[in-house]
Amino acid sequence: MASVAADTVSTRPLSHRPWWRGRLVGVGVVVALMVASYRLGVTTDANGVAVARFPWPEELVWNAFPGHLDAFQTWLLDQRNAEDPSIVFALFNGFATLVDSLVSWLDRFLLWLTWVGTAATATLVALRFGGVRAAAWVAGALAAFALMGLWEESMQTVALMLAAVALSLAVGIPVGIAAGLSTRVQRAVTPVLDTMQIVPAFAYLMPVVILFSVGPGAAVVATMIYAIPPAVRITALGIRSVAPNTVEAATSLGATRPQILAKVQLPLARRMLMLGVNQTILFALSMVVIAGLIGGGGLGDLVTSGLYSSPAMAILAGAAIVIVAMALDRATEATASRTDPTRRHLDDSARRTLRFLTVGAAAAAAASVALAKELGAPAAYPEGRSAQEWLLARIQSALDYVQDPARFLFAVTEPLGNAILVHLVQPLQSFLILGPWFTTLAGVTAIALVVSGVRPALTTLAMFVAIGVVGMWEPAMDTFSQVLVATGIAVAIGIALGIAASESALVSRALRPVNDVLQTLPQLVYIIPFVYLMPVSIVPGIVAGVLYAFPVVVRLVERGLRDVAPEAVEAASAFGASRTQLIAKVKVPLAGDAIMLGINQGIIMVLAVVVIGGLVGSGGLGYLVTEGLVRGQFGQGVAASLAILALGIALDRVTQATRQAGKEVLA
Amino acid sequence: MTGSVGQAPVIRAHGVWKVFGPRAERIVGTPEADLPRRELLERTGCVAAVRDVSFEVWPGEVFVVMGLSGSGKSTLVRTLIRLIEPTAGEIEIAGRDVTRASRSELRALRRHEVGMVFQHFGLLAHRRVLDNVAFGLEVRGVPKAERQARAREVLRLVGLEDVADRFPDQLSGGMQQRVGVARAFAVDPAVLLYDEPFSALDPLIRRDMQDEICRLQAETGKTMIFITHDLSEALRLGDRIAIMRDGSIVQLGTPEELVGSPADAYVANFTRDIPRSHVLTLRWVMRKPAPGEELDGPRLDVRTTVRDAVPVLAASEKPVCAVEDGRVVGLVERDAVLRAIASGDER
Repeated sequence: MASVAADTVSTRPLSHRPWWRGRLVGVGVVVALMVASYRLGVTTDANGVAVARFPWPEELVWNAFPGHLDAFQTWLLDQRNAEDPSIVFALFNGFATLVDSLVSWLDRFLLWLTWVGTAATATLVALRFGGVRAAAWVAGALAAFALMGLWEESMQTVALMLAAVALSLAVGIPVGIAAGLSTRVQRAVTPVLDTMQIVPAFAYLMPVVILFSVGPGAAVVATMIYAIPPAVRITALGIRSVAPNTVEAATSLGATRPQILAKVQLPLARRMLMLGVNQTILFALSMVVIAGLIGGGGLGDLVTSGLYSSPAMAILAGAAIVIVAMALDRATEATASRTDPTRRHLDDSARRTLRFLTVGAAAAAAASVALAKELGAPAAYPEGRSAQEWLLARIQSALDYVQDPARFLFAVTEPLGNAILVHLVQPLQSFLILGPWFTTLAGVTAIALVVSGVRPALTTLAMFVAIGVVGMWEPAMDTFSQVLVATGIAVAIGIALGIAASESALVSRALRPVNDVLQTLPQLVYIIPFVYLMPVSIVPGIVAGVLYAFPVVVRLVERGLRDVAPEAVEAASAFGASRTQLIAKVKVPLAGDAIMLGINQGIIMVLAVVVIGGLVGSGGLGYLVTEGLVRGQFGQGVAASLAILALGIALDRVTQATRQAGKEVLA
Repeated sequence: MTGSVGQAPVIRAHGVWKVFGPRAERIVGTPEADLPRRELLERTGCVAAVRDVSFEVWPGEVFVVMGLSGSGKSTLVRTLIRLIEPTAGEIEIAGRDVTRASRSELRALRRHEVGMVFQHFGLLAHRRVLDNVAFGLEVRGVPKAERQARAREVLRLVGLEDVADRFPDQLSGGMQQRVGVARAFAVDPAVLLYDEPFSALDPLIRRDMQDEICRLQAETGKTMIFITHDLSEALRLGDRIAIMRDGSIVQLGTPEELVGSPADAYVANFTRDIPRSHVLTLRWVMRKPAPGEELDGPRLDVRTTVRDAVPVLAASEKPVCAVEDGRVVGLVERDAVLRAIASGDER
């Protein structure tokens, strides 16, 4: 894939006019027209407050919609709780019960092993398959849970993760193999996966809760929706990236299709499959906190319930989630590399040794469990002997410090937060909310047309109309403005750092661990510190969105710039171009596709986080969903969910531009 | 060499077409099929990679298909065992009808009758050399001990018995391709297909490998189809050579026929740099003896190349007698030889 991407970028002739030249001008013209019409559209009411002269017209809102939704929910609940539910609901109920009992069985199993047994088993497994460093990560993470006094919650989260990951892989790997083998399957599943990934998790919490009711079952289903797409995509990619000539050679020897799959494609794709598992785990983990909202329990629950009532505990639990994520990431990545059969060069005696080691590790694990039980080790590490109290006190004093207006830090965060609010969010908010609805609608459609073409423009138009019709125009414009601000900042930072990283190996090396950590963190975890650091309602969501999205932009920009054909750079240098000229006139134009893809990915990631900001007072659509979940205002919550979905699809279409070329860059 | 009477050809291809593109089958047999490549693409969106190719390969023969890249030679060899489905035409291998074979018949053919060697080796990176060579037997269901014994035997044949436990990425390109050759030989097929096997190798190694193929051919007497874009390789190995251009065979003949009487300017252009004296045999320069002429000059086989005849001719006052089956069939004069050498160089 990498070489394909390099080809698509590098074969572009130098004389080719960069695709974005004309489009950028077009977008500028559209925005100018929108601004002009805004001036005509705003008026002031009796009190001198600016109001919209043309808000989304009442006649175009389907007022009965939330009522219908509420009625639908009542009907659903009746059906689900009926004495004799229909087959569909019996299936839903059965699935929820099955998953619930799977999760609780895993949880009880981990506790049955005792904390000593669990720690020993996990470390030995990591040691056997991932090596010493992986084992160190796992052991360190377990020690941290013990130290934090969060052993039980961590085990609950791990049990939830294991169930969600296992089920996601059970679906994702077979579908991925089918998509890898058949272009037709690939073509059929791609749009489904795209939608699953575009839709912010917040948008499907409500429907999932209604179908599966609150509990681990619902949490696992919501997690699966998010974690299946990477499993499918990476598996398919792994199968497809097996060199075609090896498959052809096997065919020429008369191998059957199952033989080719089992003996050629799967072993050669083994590493990719393991990386797919790694990604699935990370995606699943990033849902832990959100799952806490709908009964996932464990660490996620501590975070969501503690956000306001016990912030120190929320931060501690957030840190524990980060540790789970990093340990599982490192351990599975090491396993992927170490067990790759194309690199290991195993002969018979090495194979025997490994088998012996596996048996040895299993025996050692069993022995430590037996010994721990014999000596009466408790199921969970005793909270009393942890450093929880001390840690919570430290965190609390740190919180007091950053929130103290007399401190230096406050003098930085407060004005920065206010500046973002006053100079960026508020003007944009009033521009989008107060401006005439029809020019906004025409504007986004025109931008989609200029940037991405006719079909994306039609989709965008339809999506924005749908937002208006379900009565969500104003909150959606609110969310939209937050997304734009966060995306703008993320893209600016991303492009700047991406250019710096592509020019300097030092910067690139320095950024890599930062990007890795930021990308491993679950979405909501970003928000937690900023809730306390920048206590201006909207800002934490925006800052979190920026932090979540900019690493991807950096990565894509750096990759795009590095992939620019060296001949083109060499030729330009030979004509005496300076470094700045090289970047501005050769590299950035040639890397345009990658940069556009960065914007596309960034905007989707920002949306996902910004709506979560609704939990902490960002307003907009996210707030309405939270209300729906917490207060049971179903109709409104689902309408807001639908608006988030529509906004996500529209934003994706507006920015997708050259996505086909871009996808290859990403991979 | 070419088939003796009474023997059936091992491979028979008749009117084989391969057209890529939408609804390709409708093109064959219509006037559109004769359009030049670009026009065909513009009108129908199809590309004819192989056009109406027919040939026969006899037992023990080395049949070379030669052409520039894009001439359809690799596609042609793949249609023979339906790695690429031919659009039209008939193919027979070892008496079996390939084009009408069911899936399992086709698999049986690939397992038992045909072995193929690929340009980019196509080795399995996760298996030892030994298991790579045994792979064909494994898919056939041969028990482990038996297939490994056979694989070791074949590895000895190609001189790789020492690296049986290594992995492909630990070997040089030349050695990897020897593994590829061994893998094809391991199933003891009647026919071997070579798809530009040495193009990815360094020139020196390429020469070694060509010698190796000549040796294997002499030792095992397999029938071979050999694809190449390198004329000197084609002339070195081929009993007969088919030159392809734009999907069609433009000339099919022995090396000396191609060099001695190229069918058109395209073939002539190909062969112009080949010294004619290295390829042409005495048959091409001899004259019929006049009635009653003395036939007492030195005797040489009629298949001797002109170059090899030069020292003999130089040492003799009399014309050389070209002999076939113990009978003098012609006389070779000095000036004929000189003319042959000179014309080769001036062209």
